[in-house]
Amino acid sequence: MSEITFTNVSRSFERDGNMFLAVDSVSLTVRDREFVAIVGPSGCGKTTCMRMAAGLEFPTAGQVTVSGKEVISPGPDRAVVFQQFALFPWKTVSENIDFGLRAKGLDEAERRRIVEHNIALMNLRGYETAFPHQLSGGMQQRVAIARAYALDPDVLLMDEPFGALDAQTRVVMQEELVKLARLNPRTVLFITHAVDEAVYLADRVVIMTSRPGKIKEILDVKAVRDAENWDQHSRIEDVMDLASFVHLRTRIWKSLREEHAGDDH
Amino acid sequence: MKLKSTIGVASTLAVLVGAMIVWYTVTAATGWVSPARFPHPAETWQSFVAIATNGYGNGKLHQHVLNSLKLVAMGFGVAVLVGVPLGLLMGYSRKAEALLNPAFLLLRPIPPLAWIPLAIVWLGLEDASKVLVIFVAAFVPSVINSYAGVRQIEAPILEAADMLGIRGLTFVREVLVPGSLPSIFTGLRLSLQASWTTLVAAELIGALYGLGSILNQAAQDIYPAMILVAMIFVGLCGASTTWLLGELERRAMPWRRQWGAQ
Repeated sequence: MSEITFTNVSRSFERDGNMFLAVDSVSLTVRDREFVAIVGPSGCGKTTCMRMAAGLEFPTAGQVTVSGKEVISPGPDRAVVFQQFALFPWKTVSENIDFGLRAKGLDEAERRRIVEHNIALMNLRGYETAFPHQLSGGMQQRVAIARAYALDPDVLLMDEPFGALDAQTRVVMQEELVKLARLNPRTVLFITHAVDEAVYLADRVVIMTSRPGKIKEILDVKAVRDAENWDQHSRIEDVMDLASFVHLRTRIWKSLREEHAGDDH
Repeated sequence: MKLKSTIGVASTLAVLVGAMIVWYTVTAATGWVSPARFPHPAETWQSFVAIATNGYGNGKLHQHVLNSLKLVAMGFGVAVLVGVPLGLLMGYSRKAEALLNPAFLLLRPIPPLAWIPLAIVWLGLEDASKVLVIFVAAFVPSVINSYAGVRQIEAPILEAADMLGIRGLTFVREVLVPGSLPSIFTGLRLSLQASWTTLVAAELIGALYGLGSILNQAAQDIYPAMILVAMIFVGLCGASTTWLLGELERRAMPWRRQWGAQ
């Protein structure tokens, strides 16, 4: 069982001597093997929420737990896929994926098996000895995802992982992620500002308000997806054409638009 | 790549030949510049042959060159071995930075040559005092640039290492050092330059052997051709050690080389 729970979590920052409240009393449970996406206007604290689950930042009030334990530091049980990939430029594709496995102390045969498996899974065959900057953005992000998957983490934390990609590559990556998520479900917290992406990928979508970020509403996408059998379509555009998809997307859009309108005041 | 380097060699040769022609023209051919001020090419060649075969000052050319190289290697080597780890530590640990940075702010503006009197008082006129002064000159750029190198590593890279559970020596060897390496090498290049500058200055003040000692002796003998020979060899030594360092840099960072080739 690996759940992520936020209990009354607040986080404030100091800037120029003033305190800013970034996240305001967020309570949320990401259930075991559930895919939850957080959407919200930029600066709403959604990335901060992910970083608190990762142990890269800490709440100023409340508590974040993963698998029942309070998060006190980053660790390979909570693999992070960063928006800017954060690959090690001096390591090859294989070495990047292998690095965390070495730290875990796995033996060499086991590590090689895992690296090869993830390279195949992410369509990176033939690029094992390439350095990250020799790859396109989409391929770099696949390496970052392979590196996270290779850790076999209880929890996967993804911070706008497709934000830096061009539209075509993003669609391919989204389809691949859906396949992987259905094949081998994990507890995922996915941060994005792309509404389509959230509805397409997630079991539940959390909508946050603009700063200070609070949870505005939570939509159960999985209930609709199962009822309307979205998974029979393998292409994202076919899913996006479904009336039930459009309906959910529009609802989230309207909800977010109220937040943007709020920004103008 | 092949073509490029051929063009490079050809243009270097062309510049050298051009400079020789100009040199010959203004000195030997026309006499615009008096040989008392600036020597002929032929005179310079004779001085070179003289110092290489019979010696000048207290030794032959190769003895002077080797002695200078030895002092630079020692001062530079110790400065790098101490300076780079110290810079990395200052970059990584706020405590080390708070402790050491004020000392560096004070030390940095002191020209390395200002250490010569103290070095002589402490260690005399022998090699040791010169090594100390070279060390001081080479130490500061090594520390400062290694320190800056750590600071230039992008935060997400350090966070990724943390997330993957990379700790201790593995973290230093495979994250901190490679991440800082471009800046570390910038520091090494500056350190090496500072080493040669300081060496010649230190040898000018008093030395039995060394390129600086030739300069000193030749100035006293009013022997411009020999001064020129010594200057040319200071240049050659500096350029060839810098080239060696560049080769080392290229080999140390294969991920950059392949990027450049694209």
